[in-house]
Amino acid sequence: MMPELIMLLGLIAIVVVPNLGDAKFRLPLTSVRVPVLLGGSRFDLTNDPRMPNRISNLTFSIALLSSLLLISESPSEIGGILLVDSFSRLFSTMFLAALLLVSIATTHRLPAKTNALIPKDSDSEEVFDRKISILIDNRRQVDFYILLIMVGLGMTMMTMATNLFMLIVCIELASLSTYVLVAFHKEDGTGGEAGAKYFIVGSVASAIGIYGMSLLYLWSGSLDLEVLRQSWLSMDGVDPFAAFGIGMMLVAFGFKVSAAPFHLAAPDAYSGAASQVSGLLATASKAMGFLALFRVLVMITVPDGSEAIWMIALGIFAIVTMTWGNLAALTSENPKRMLAYSSVAHAGYMLAAIAVVGSGISSADQNAIILTAVSFHLFVLVLFKLGAFLVLALLETEGKGHQIEHLYGLGRRDPLIAGSMFLFVLSLAGVPPLSGFLSKLLMINGIVSTSASTGSLSSVDVISWAESVDPLFWLAAAIVLNSALSLFYYLRIGLVMFFEEPPSEKSLRAAPSLRMAIFACALLTVLCGIGPVSEWLLDTVSSAIDSLMYE
Amino acid sequence: MISDPLTVITIVPLVVSLALLILPKISGSAEGLARASRAISMGVSLAMLAITTMIFFGEIGNVDWTDYNSGYSLTNDAFALIPSIGVHWKVGADALSFPMIWLTTLLIPISMLVEWDAKKGHLFHPLILMMEGALIGVFVSLDMFVFYAFWELTLVPMFFLIMVWGGEDRKYASMKFFIYTFTASVIMLVGILVMYFYTPAVESSGTITGHTFDMSVMIASSDYIPSEGLRHLVWLLLLIGFATKMPSVPVHTWLPDAHVQAPTAGSMLLAGVMLKMGAYGFLRIAVSAFPESTVAFIPLLIFLGMASLVYGAWVCMGQTNLKRMVAYSSVSHMGLIFLGIATMQPLGIAGALFMMFAHGIISPLLFAVAGAFKHHYHTLEIGSMRGIAHHSPWLAAHMMLGWMASLGLPLLAGFVAEVTILIAFWMSFGWLVLLPTLTLIITAVYYLTSMQKTIFESNDPHHGILPDTLHGEDPRDISWHENSGMIILGALTIVFGILPFIFWDMMSEWSSGFLIDTLVEAMQSEGVKP
Repeated sequence: MMPELIMLLGLIAIVVVPNLGDAKFRLPLTSVRVPVLLGGSRFDLTNDPRMPNRISNLTFSIALLSSLLLISESPSEIGGILLVDSFSRLFSTMFLAALLLVSIATTHRLPAKTNALIPKDSDSEEVFDRKISILIDNRRQVDFYILLIMVGLGMTMMTMATNLFMLIVCIELASLSTYVLVAFHKEDGTGGEAGAKYFIVGSVASAIGIYGMSLLYLWSGSLDLEVLRQSWLSMDGVDPFAAFGIGMMLVAFGFKVSAAPFHLAAPDAYSGAASQVSGLLATASKAMGFLALFRVLVMITVPDGSEAIWMIALGIFAIVTMTWGNLAALTSENPKRMLAYSSVAHAGYMLAAIAVVGSGISSADQNAIILTAVSFHLFVLVLFKLGAFLVLALLETEGKGHQIEHLYGLGRRDPLIAGSMFLFVLSLAGVPPLSGFLSKLLMINGIVSTSASTGSLSSVDVISWAESVDPLFWLAAAIVLNSALSLFYYLRIGLVMFFEEPPSEKSLRAAPSLRMAIFACALLTVLCGIGPVSEWLLDTVSSAIDSLMYE
Repeated sequence: MISDPLTVITIVPLVVSLALLILPKISGSAEGLARASRAISMGVSLAMLAITTMIFFGEIGNVDWTDYNSGYSLTNDAFALIPSIGVHWKVGADALSFPMIWLTTLLIPISMLVEWDAKKGHLFHPLILMMEGALIGVFVSLDMFVFYAFWELTLVPMFFLIMVWGGEDRKYASMKFFIYTFTASVIMLVGILVMYFYTPAVESSGTITGHTFDMSVMIASSDYIPSEGLRHLVWLLLLIGFATKMPSVPVHTWLPDAHVQAPTAGSMLLAGVMLKMGAYGFLRIAVSAFPESTVAFIPLLIFLGMASLVYGAWVCMGQTNLKRMVAYSSVSHMGLIFLGIATMQPLGIAGALFMMFAHGIISPLLFAVAGAFKHHYHTLEIGSMRGIAHHSPWLAAHMMLGWMASLGLPLLAGFVAEVTILIAFWMSFGWLVLLPTLTLIITAVYYLTSMQKTIFESNDPHHGILPDTLHGEDPRDISWHENSGMIILGALTIVFGILPFIFWDMMSEWSSGFLIDTLVEAMQSEGVKP
C-alpha cells in the first residue's frame, strides 16, 4: 500500500503546507509565546502559489517510484476486498506515470503570480478586481492538485479491488474528481459546460452500472469477484438477473472507455477541458474503464471453452466504435476533438481484441497474449496520446490549440515540438517502428492467430476462403482498414505543421516543464517500440497478465 | 579486418548524420559549421566506399565475388531487437544486393561532390549521409521489420531535401512524393503482415506472438498462406508497394514532380538508388515468396513494363524541361526491368539486374548534368539556348555521353542491359520483342533532337543563343567539383560498358540459381515453358 499512503500524505501536505504561518499562542498569564505554525501570516515559502504543484510533483514521483519498485511484490490480500499483486501494481504504475506527467505539465497552466497583493480600500474598482482574481487564481492551484491526487488515489485503489462494491467506489472517487477537473478550465468559458455535460452523462452511466451491480447482488448474494465467478460457472443456462446485471455494467464501463454509442459526451468534455486534463481522460481514465472490463467481463464471465454471451455484442460495439471514431475524426477541424475521436477509435481496437477473449475458440494462452497486447497498448497510449495533448497544451498557453489553423507552420516556429507531435500522430496511426505499431501488431496478432486457422486450406480463391474463415477474422480486417482510414487525419496534422504558413512567426512559450514532459513522451514512444525498453515493458506486462489469469 | 562490415556501413552514416544534425553549433560562424559538417560527411561516405570496395575485392569478409554462387555472405549473428514479436538485426549481402550496396556508397560521395559548393547550410550534407544509411539498410537487412523501417526511413531525408532545398514548387512536389510513396508502402505493409501471420509457430524463447519477421523464414513459409487467391492478393499488395517506388505506370506521377523540384544531389540519389529499391524489393520478396503468383501474373508484368516503357518514352518526346525529360526516361527504363523479370530467363533477369546497376550510374550523370545546366544557365528549358558546346565544352561533353549511354549506345553500360533483356524477351515471347525495340527508337529520337537543340545548333557559331534568364552575361563552364563528379560517372559508364563482366558474372550466376531454386517449379505447375 506504499504508493497509496504516499498519496495520502501528499494530500495532507497539500492541505496543510500552504496554511503554515508564524501564528503563536501565548500561554495564559505568562509572556511565553509558543509557535503553533497554523495560521498567522504565512512564510515566504508556504505563501508561494507554486507550492501545491511542487508537492504534487513530488508526491507522484515518490509514489511512482515506490510502485515501480514494488512491481514484483508477492500477492497479499487486504481486508478481503483488496488484492495487491503484480497486475495491480503494474496498472497503478501506469496511472501514476500519467498523473506525474500531467502534474509536471500543468506547472504553467494557471497564471500563478508570486507577487499577489491584498487589495486595499483605496484601490480603484478595476485594480481591486484584478488583485482579487490573482488571489483566487493562486488559491485554485491547491484545488487543482488536490483533485489530481484524489484521481490518483481512486485509480490506484481500483486496480486492487476484488470486490465489485470497492471497484465502483474507487472508480467513482476518480471519476467525480475528473468531472471537476474538466470544469476547472475557466480560462475560456467552455470548461463549465463541458464539465456539466460530462458529469450528467457520467453519473447516469454510473447509476446504470450500480443498478446492474445490485442485480448481480440479487442473483448471487455476494459482490466478491471470485464468488461471482464461481456462481457464473455453476449457473444453469443464463440467469436473466446475471445477464442484465453484466449488461448494465457494460454500459457504465463503456462510458468510461468511451465506446460508441456511449462516447457522445467525450469529445465535448475533451475539447472543453484543459489539454492536460483531456490527455488524462484519454489515457488513464480510459485504462481504468478497461481494467474494470477485464475484472468484470473477463474474470467473471469467461467460461471455459464456450462462447461468452457478450461476445457478439462486444464485437459489434468494437466495429461501430472504431469506425464511428475514425469517421468523426476525419471531419473535425478542432485538433482536440480529433484526438478525442481518435481515442474513441482506439477504444474500438481494444474492444475488438477483448471480444476475441470471449469467443470460446481461443486457448488460455492466446487469451493471455490478447490481454497482454491490450494492456501494453494502454501503457504506450499514455506516451503518445498524452504527449499529443501536451503539445496542444503548449499551444493553449497562448490561447490557441482548438483549431487546426493553430497548428499551421508549427514546424517552422518550433521544429522540435512539431517533430515530437509528428512522432505522436505517427505512433497513433501505428507506423513501425514506433510503439503504437508494436501494440497494434500484438492485438491484431491475437485476433488473427485465434481466427485465421479456421479458414479452409483447400479453398482456391479468396472468396471461398473468406466464407470459410471465422467471423472473428473480420475484426482484424476492420482494425487494419480503420488504421488505414485514420492515416488521413493523422498525416494531415503533419502536413499542416510542415507546409502551411504559420499565423505568426513568434516562437512558442518556453514552459520548460511542459516541454520536458513532451520530450519524455516522445523519447519513450520510440524506445517502447523497439529495443530493450520495449522488451522489458512487454515482459513485465506479460508476467502481470499471467498472474491475473492463472492466479 | 572488420568483423561485421554490413552493420558498420549501415549504422555509421546514420549515427554520424544524426550527430551532425542534432549537435548545436560547434564553430562560431555558420559558414565554418557548414564547412565542417560537409567535410565530415564526405569523409564518412568515402570511408564507406572504401569498405564496400574492399568487400568487393575480398579484402574484407573474404568473399570471392567473381565466382559467386548463391546464399548470403557477410551475415552477422542475429541480434534480437524485439524478441517478443520476432524482430532481429540480421544482415547479409548476395549478388542481388551487393551491386546496389556498392552503387549507394559510390553515389553518395559523388552527389556530395557535385553539390560541394552548394551553400545550403550545415544540414544539407548530413541529410545525404543519413540517406546513405537508410538506403544501405534497405539492401542489407534480412529481417522484414527492419527492412520496412529502413524503407520508410529513406523517405525522411529525401522529403526534407526536396522540401527545403527544392525548386519553386517544392511544397507540392514533396507532399506528393510523400503521400504517394507512404500510401503505397502502407499497402505493402498489409501484405507483409499477412505473410507474418502465416509463418509457422516457432517455440523460440521470448516470442509472444509465435511468429517471426526473419525474411528467409517468411519467404519460405508463404506456402502456409491458405488459399491461392489470398497468395495472389498478397502478391498484388506487395506489387503496389514496389511498383510505386520503381515507379511503373500508372503510379509513376510523383516522380517527374519530385525530380524537377529536387536539388541535384536529391535527384541523383532518387534516380540512382531509390528507384532501385522497388525492383530490389520486388525480386527479393514478392518474386521469391510467391513464384506461382509471379508466373500467373506474367501478362500483368508485361503490360506494366510495356506501358511504362512506351508511355515514358512517348511523353519524353513532348517535354521541354530537361529534368522532366530525364525523369520520364527513368520511368521508361524501369519498364525494361519488369520486362526482364517477366521473361523468366536467366538472361532476362540478369539483364534486369544489370539495368538496375547501369541506370544507377547513367541517370545520376544525367541529373548532375541537368543540375549544372540549371546552375549555370538558370533555366531547364530545352531550346531556350543553343550551342552550349561553345560556352561550356565540358558540360556539353558530359551531356552527350550521358544521353548516348541512356539511349543505349554500344560499348556503354546501358547497352549491355538493354540488349540482354531484349534477347531474353525474344526467346520468351518471340516477335512481341518488336514493341520494346521500336520504343528504343523513340528514345533515340528525343535524345538526339534535344541534343541538337541544346548542344550544337546555333546561328552564330561563336555565340549561340543564350537564354533570357542570363540577362546577357556569359555563362561559365562547370566548376571543378561538378566536373570531377561527372567524369567519375562517365568513366564508370564506359568501364561497365566495355567490361560488364565485373558485375555481370555474379548477376547471371545469381539469376540462374534464382530461377532453378524458386521459379522453375512454379513455371512447370503453371504450364509456362522455362
